[in-house]
Amino acid sequence: MEQGHQRICCDRAVFTAKSQSEVIADVKAGSKYAFKTLYEQHIGRVYALCYRLTGDKSLAEDASQEVFIQLWRKIASYDGNSQFSTWLHSVTANVTISYMRKQRSWFQRMLNIETSSITEPVAPQETNDHDLDTHIRALPERARLVFVLYAIEGYRHEEIASMLNMAVGSSKAQLHRARGLLKHAMGCTDE
Amino acid sequence: MQWGVPMSNADKQLLQRLNELKKERQPERDLWRGIELGLTRQDDGAEGSAVINEHGGRQAVFASKGLWAVAAAFAVVCSMLWFLTPIGNPSASQPTDMLVNAPGSTHKDGSVNNYELVEAQSLQQRQYITGLLASYETTPALTKDWQQQLNELDTAADAIKAALKEDPDNSALIKMLHHVYQQQIALVERVHAPKWQQI
Repeated sequence: MEQGHQRICCDRAVFTAKSQSEVIADVKAGSKYAFKTLYEQHIGRVYALCYRLTGDKSLAEDASQEVFIQLWRKIASYDGNSQFSTWLHSVTANVTISYMRKQRSWFQRMLNIETSSITEPVAPQETNDHDLDTHIRALPERARLVFVLYAIEGYRHEEIASMLNMAVGSSKAQLHRARGLLKHAMGCTDE
Repeated sequence: MQWGVPMSNADKQLLQRLNELKKERQPERDLWRGIELGLTRQDDGAEGSAVINEHGGRQAVFASKGLWAVAAAFAVVCSMLWFLTPIGNPSASQPTDMLVNAPGSTHKDGSVNNYELVEAQSLQQRQYITGLLASYETTPALTKDWQQQLNELDTAADAIKAALKEDPDNSALIKMLHHVYQQQIALVERVHAPKWQQI
């Protein structure tokens, strides 16, 4: 009896101790305990990417939830040929971009509700890694999306162009713009 | 990571900062509860993609038909009033300030129920409009159809409130409701006391 009780109590610990491939197999079999373990392992990176893409805490929280709900649906299609974290990042980027499109509706524009996309570079501050995040968040939306996908997530311009429905040249131009704004905002100089 | 061009010192500094960026960032609130509710709804056969917030309401708002109706109602009212009542700055005593400035409307530590705040705001707005109308009781209105416009604004406010009941943390909806309430006050004031009469 006592052993049984301990076993129930320690279900979560068992999942935590399992290898990632075992946890994924359990999730594919429908285990929500395993899915919560997966969530706890990856929420930090998923949220960081959502936050950088959206530039908004509230949108990033909602997008992160959407990512995990979509992940529950799509995990059966993960074939194990790539690293799970790489695959999850791809799901995260696509779901977040799609979520942002839904949110950027016409009447938000009409009301001029800006949740992000400051068009002017923010004033230079004392720089550290936290400040870089602040400056990335302040980039105009398209420049921010391209910069995050290219410079942080390692996508190629061709992939970014396809994800964002833009020309490859536009992706390169937005990256150039983002770099210029960030260097200016952070006070990076060539001297 | 390379920029694909010869790198200047500034580029190298930026690259160094990029390499120092934290890979992880934790959300300030627990997102699991909403995800779990979302999964449960999926299991129950709920249609479409929806994020469930911590109050249990559906988000991903603009995908749902109901909110398209809200948007449509709001758009009709806005376009109708666009030429009639330019948006002015409400005075500090107007109740519409409460909704946007209230700490609960800013977001989600779970300590304030935003929908209760919306209800309180709605009641206060009704009382304010009633008082305003009473004060203009003996003043003739400049247009004939202002009451119809006021009713249409009421309908828009009701539709937005219905959406907020499902999704009390949605800041876009809160701002829309605030905007509609401002329009109501501006309408009543403008048809009864246009600025040229006040000079």
